[in-house]
Amino acid sequence: MNILDAMQVSSAGMKVQGDRLRVISQNIANADTAANTPNAEPYKRKSVIFKNEMDRASGVEKVKVERIVEDDSDFKLKFQPSHPGADQNGYIRLPNVNTLVETMDMREAQRSYEANLGMVQISKAMLGKTIDLLGQ
Amino acid sequence: MLDNIGLMKGINGKMNWLNQRQGILSQNIANADTPQYRARDLEKVDFEKVMRSVSNRPSIAPASTNSAHIGANPQLGEADNRKSKDVYEASPTNNAVVIEEQLLKAQATQSDYALMTNLYKKNVGMLKMVVSK
Repeated sequence: MNILDAMQVSSAGMKVQGDRLRVISQNIANADTAANTPNAEPYKRKSVIFKNEMDRASGVEKVKVERIVEDDSDFKLKFQPSHPGADQNGYIRLPNVNTLVETMDMREAQRSYEANLGMVQISKAMLGKTIDLLGQ
Repeated sequence: MLDNIGLMKGINGKMNWLNQRQGILSQNIANADTPQYRARDLEKVDFEKVMRSVSNRPSIAPASTNSAHIGANPQLGEADNRKSKDVYEASPTNNAVVIEEQLLKAQATQSDYALMTNLYKKNVGMLKMVVSK
């Protein structure tokens, strides 16, 4: 593995954190998306699962998004009889998204992204030192 | 050509080792949120021993025509890529990458690399001085 491979691995890490951030944004944007009919389900919270996989093109192990899974926990109930999605008791079902949890997740993704960026910078500095040898 | 000089060979080996280590540390950080992932590191190569065998080497050495020949050239040990056994923290998903630890290692790798490139420069400078006079 050389320095350029190291940079590719770091950029793969940045890419998956970007994907994670996209899913988190989707969760937060849909935090109040209730169903329009009593029997339909509201939006379900999604989360990303990572996997370290051999990339045949470059011959190094890179991190990838294995799959995006739905959270099967219970939906929140809210009393709102005027809503078209309300059941006979007047309750609507709201998504199982907790904005606080999503915000924490977002912060974690941001920190991981920064750590990967730090590795790219260190690799770049090392590469620069090697190229400087040419100036001798 | 410079590779025939023992010291250069040592520096080269160390730079190679640092390059590989940087790749592995990048991998650890990229997998900081992957379930079941354990941080890896390169096994340390005893460069002191390499340097000693380089400096004690006679100036005329027999050519090694077979890989089984011993002592003709300073041997650089092959570094092993292995999982760390003693982790001091694992997340609920059994991920054991501590980003701070990995970044510290990366910084150490970077400064070692800078040291090696500077040594290389100095040596080439010395050679140039000899050649130009």
